[in-house]
Amino acid sequence: MRRAKRTTTILLALLALALAGWTSAQAEMPYFQSADFNVPILVGWQNQSVAGVAQFHQPSAAATIRVTMTAGADAQAAAAADLAGWLGLANLAAPVYSGKVNLADGTWQVRAYDIDAERSASQLARQAGDRFIVITFLESEATSRTLMLAIAQADEMLDTAEPELDSALQQLTQLRLDDLEAAGAFELPGGDWLVFQNETAQVAGSLFGNDSYIALREGPPGDLASLADAWRNMLLGFFITPDNSLYLGLGLAVSLLILAALLGSFAWRARTLQKDLAMIEQLGNADAN
Amino acid sequence: MTQRGIDPPTTASPQPRLLRALTLLTALGFAGTLVLGLFVAGTDIQQGQVQRIFYIHMPSFFGAFTAFGATVLGGLLYLWRGNADWDRIAQAGVEVGLAFALINLLTGAIWARPIWNTWWTWDPRLTSAAVMCLTYAAYLMLRAGIENRQRRRSLMSVYGIFAFVSVLLTLFIIRIVPDTIHPVIIGASPQNAQGTFEATSGVVLALLPSLILWLTLMPITLMWHRYRLALRQEAVDALKLELLGG
Repeated sequence: MRRAKRTTTILLALLALALAGWTSAQAEMPYFQSADFNVPILVGWQNQSVAGVAQFHQPSAAATIRVTMTAGADAQAAAAADLAGWLGLANLAAPVYSGKVNLADGTWQVRAYDIDAERSASQLARQAGDRFIVITFLESEATSRTLMLAIAQADEMLDTAEPELDSALQQLTQLRLDDLEAAGAFELPGGDWLVFQNETAQVAGSLFGNDSYIALREGPPGDLASLADAWRNMLLGFFITPDNSLYLGLGLAVSLLILAALLGSFAWRARTLQKDLAMIEQLGNADAN
Repeated sequence: MTQRGIDPPTTASPQPRLLRALTLLTALGFAGTLVLGLFVAGTDIQQGQVQRIFYIHMPSFFGAFTAFGATVLGGLLYLWRGNADWDRIAQAGVEVGLAFALINLLTGAIWARPIWNTWWTWDPRLTSAAVMCLTYAAYLMLRAGIENRQRRRSLMSVYGIFAFVSVLLTLFIIRIVPDTIHPVIIGASPQNAQGTFEATSGVVLALLPSLILWLTLMPITLMWHRYRLALRQEAVDALKLELLGG
């Protein structure tokens, strides 16, 4: 008996130890979590998030990425109001770029703004229930202008981002891709980025499915690909925790029902046996009399 | 002694103190593990609340494993020693194990609806789990259909031993067949797995007590109750026969 107890204790301790060791090897997912949404926490960025607002700042590039859930008439209006409110502006100038991309979780509106001489902003927004999710990239550097775009490919899937880079450059600057030199292909956590640059401008492009992700910078070259990769990771890593409590309730109800049925059948059979026994005793007494 | 010569403890013996303690401990443990799984463990941010079904889904399979394992042990010992007690334990194992296996199967289907977008798919593990349930349901039907007591005990002992193949198949099939969407929690999931999640410390905190409860206390306590019911059933049947014969 004592040996059995000891063996059981040792086995349980070993099981607990193995599970504890295995658990410690599992890394927690670095996610900003709120009641409304979840986004990845950007590694190497200052985390300035508060309740309901995910915000990451990169001092070296004077860049900030901010994610909020806000109300509005539509995605564009909600995003513009959120940006104006954040920057303390009464009005926002017309966007310098407008577009949209279709991702698995819905259609995202894409906008880019030149706020003033120092600041430029890019936004992604889509409907989520009766509100709108807004992802904003803001650059506050007097010597440069950085815009982040997501472009749905018009025709067949491209095998290089170069046509889209050329098109974005023409649309938003006075340059063409031929005016820049290839600076290389960079393999970053979110994907491969193709970078072109000269002394005054830089573009980075990456393909993902039917969409092209383009980053455009006017000013001295910097680590544009890393900024663009962080921006895209924020979009692709964004998700809303589904509300499926009803299924949990159903699962619990079914489990309890099966256990109750098992116990009920035990009780019912025991009761039937008791009745049978009483009847047998009655009959036995009758026989004896 | 009753008038018919049947030992009273066989038909109406009081619950042993240990069984009463086990029953209380099991009920408290069940309530405690529910609290851990529903309120203490964090919400999985990707799967949502439905992931908490896992704290019943996985342990219930291991509870069934213990109960069906008892059926194998009972069957082997009955065939070896011929003591009817072992057959009663084997039968109790099937009833309790089948209830646990049904909980496992149904909670899996309920979890799959929001995560896989379907209640059911003919995935290797789901199929083998369904086959396992049907195998043990057939055990109970077959058992009820055999009149001769000795023949019934021998045949069902053999059936119970071979039926365990379906349990082992369910346990190991996702390690053998890579083409499965069923996630593996302990170890790396297959490439096609959908709905897998990280077993963080919060998950293990809720899972470990639940696993221990379903693996040990729940099947043992319920099987003990079912064993006592079988004893009483046989005693009453014997009384009936004696009455009819007398």
